[in-house]
Amino acid sequence: MEKKAARNLFIWGTVICTAIFIWLTIDTHISIPKRTNTDQLTEEVVLGKRVWHKYNCNDCHTILGIGGYYSPDMTKVYSLRGENWLRLFLKNPESPDPRRRKMPNQKLSDEEIKKLIAFFKWVDAIDTNEWPPQPLTVAKVTGVPLEETAQVLKGKNVYNQNRCDLCHRIGGQGGIIGPDLSKVGDKRELQWLSKLIKDPKSINPGTQMPAYSQLSEDEVQALVTFLSGLK
Amino acid sequence: MIYESQKVAIKYFVISAIFFGLQVVVGLVLILKYIWPDPLIGIIPFNTARAIHTNLLVVWMLFGFMGGTYYVVPEESKTELYSKKLADLQFWLLLIGGLVGVIGFLFGWTAGRPLLELPVELKWAVVIVVLIFIFNVFMTMVKTKKWTAVQGLLLGGVVMLAVMWLFAIPFFKNLTFDYYYWWWVIHLWVEGAWELIAASLMAFILLKLTGVERMVVEKWLYIELALVLTTGIIGTGHHYYWIGTPGYWLWWGGIFSALETVPIVLMVLDTLRHVKHRKIEITDRLVLYWTVGCALFHFFGAAVMGMVHTLPQVNRWTHGTQVTAAHGHLAFFGAYAMLILTVVYYALPKLKGLTQFNQKRGFWVFWIMVSMMLTIGLAFGVAGVIQSYMQRGLGIEFLTVQEFMRPWFIAVLVGGLGFFIGVVIYIVDVLKIATHKPE
Repeated sequence: MEKKAARNLFIWGTVICTAIFIWLTIDTHISIPKRTNTDQLTEEVVLGKRVWHKYNCNDCHTILGIGGYYSPDMTKVYSLRGENWLRLFLKNPESPDPRRRKMPNQKLSDEEIKKLIAFFKWVDAIDTNEWPPQPLTVAKVTGVPLEETAQVLKGKNVYNQNRCDLCHRIGGQGGIIGPDLSKVGDKRELQWLSKLIKDPKSINPGTQMPAYSQLSEDEVQALVTFLSGLK
Repeated sequence: MIYESQKVAIKYFVISAIFFGLQVVVGLVLILKYIWPDPLIGIIPFNTARAIHTNLLVVWMLFGFMGGTYYVVPEESKTELYSKKLADLQFWLLLIGGLVGVIGFLFGWTAGRPLLELPVELKWAVVIVVLIFIFNVFMTMVKTKKWTAVQGLLLGGVVMLAVMWLFAIPFFKNLTFDYYYWWWVIHLWVEGAWELIAASLMAFILLKLTGVERMVVEKWLYIELALVLTTGIIGTGHHYYWIGTPGYWLWWGGIFSALETVPIVLMVLDTLRHVKHRKIEITDRLVLYWTVGCALFHFFGAAVMGMVHTLPQVNRWTHGTQVTAAHGHLAFFGAYAMLILTVVYYALPKLKGLTQFNQKRGFWVFWIMVSMMLTIGLAFGVAGVIQSYMQRGLGIEFLTVQEFMRPWFIAVLVGGLGFFIGVVIYIVDVLKIATHKPE
């Protein structure tokens, strides 16, 4: 090949591929509104995105898998954690466990938290071609599979929403300040557990665990049912 | 060196080296945060440090490219620079802009888009700096009667760099569009504009180093870059798998990004062929090492590591994990850091009129940096594979998995400390050569 032919290859190759790329871009523009539900892209969601930018969240967290790899991905955080959890966490993200990686408290206002959650909710519904993928197998959390009755699911929800996992762990997931609860159902009875949750100091005066007196009786019952199933 | 105005490149090279060193220091701060609880969380949290680490990279590479261009263009155009004053002005603007950006990050002045954190005011300032640069380079080329491929492609690369940067400026309401055009900057820079600049600078050095005919070198330069752009432009699609864009990108992106390896293989072969068929004795062993090392590392870091994890079937599991960090470090180092160091080790001694100088330090820099960056990249890679398997494959919670990756983060730290020694020797070497007084 002569130099001139090489130059033509360069010019025409670039022109043709740019044209294809622009064509694909136009088509992408046509399909994105539906795939990202732009009808639900409200002013509040946009303001939430601005909060996301203002605190430079994206340099620790990934979202749609892009950003810093220091902290969990935010794409599905809304469906994974739920609104209540997010509100509590964003208000005070610091883990009491000194050995765990921490998120600094950004001192977000309630208004900012609301907008940010609206943003996460909108992102959650983006059609991402099924990313992140469903795990191939789910690592076994406890020795015995949980029987997922309504009461157990409710209890699990109470456990998650109140961030018990900051101190306790189940099947290797969670904090290391409090005892491991993976087999707590073998060791403790329902009544003992519910007494502990409502007033930990009545059982162990030296404990660091805070009292969860704000939980309703129903919630405590659900939580201990869930815990006693962990064997 | 033939033309007086080429000397403007010296200060570009010096600042480039110093910012490179700062980038490595901030990198060490970052990896420490992965390993131990972070005592600096209130002063310089991870996100701020990451913004500084990545933006320093861009700034020191821009200094390197611009310095290299100011060295090459007069010699290619066979004339002095159009304006040495503009080149000086542009240097100071870039330096001040870079420093304001970095200090601004420390005070939370950010646009909050990863890698493009510079606030919008500074982004426009970058546009001005680059326009001055393009104007100066273009006017120099216009002065000449001869229009070489090296000049043309270099100018093309710089113009493309500027055009793509415009997509970094607006605020996007829709996150999917935000990232769609975010990649027009990130991807089309590193797999487009920067490749044009880097390959042209490398072609110039190969011409001078090996004495192979210009016809031959420039022909292969055209072919390489034709393949870079034909594969790389549509190859942007390998970033459009999971961000809300249509499913056909898995095909377009997957196929074209696999083809992106072809031009890089060709670059390795070209480099080796030019060296083999050299027309003059290669006396500068150090530049030869950097040139060949750059081609090989470029191939490994960018082509091999890149191709492996942009296959959609693999990327589904590795996307958003430390595998990307592994690829990022190896690719940037091989494709661009080594290229700039090649240019500096070629041009700087010539600018100072040194026909011979002690190359021992330069060889130390070469071997330390190459081995340590391999350590860093591979350790990140293992951490990323653990993360992909445990977090994505087994569904184990993020922070729990991070505990299992800790030994590999420690390996990154060890590599980083070694690399830091390399970069310190490099800065000392650059300063020694740059401040050399003729006897």
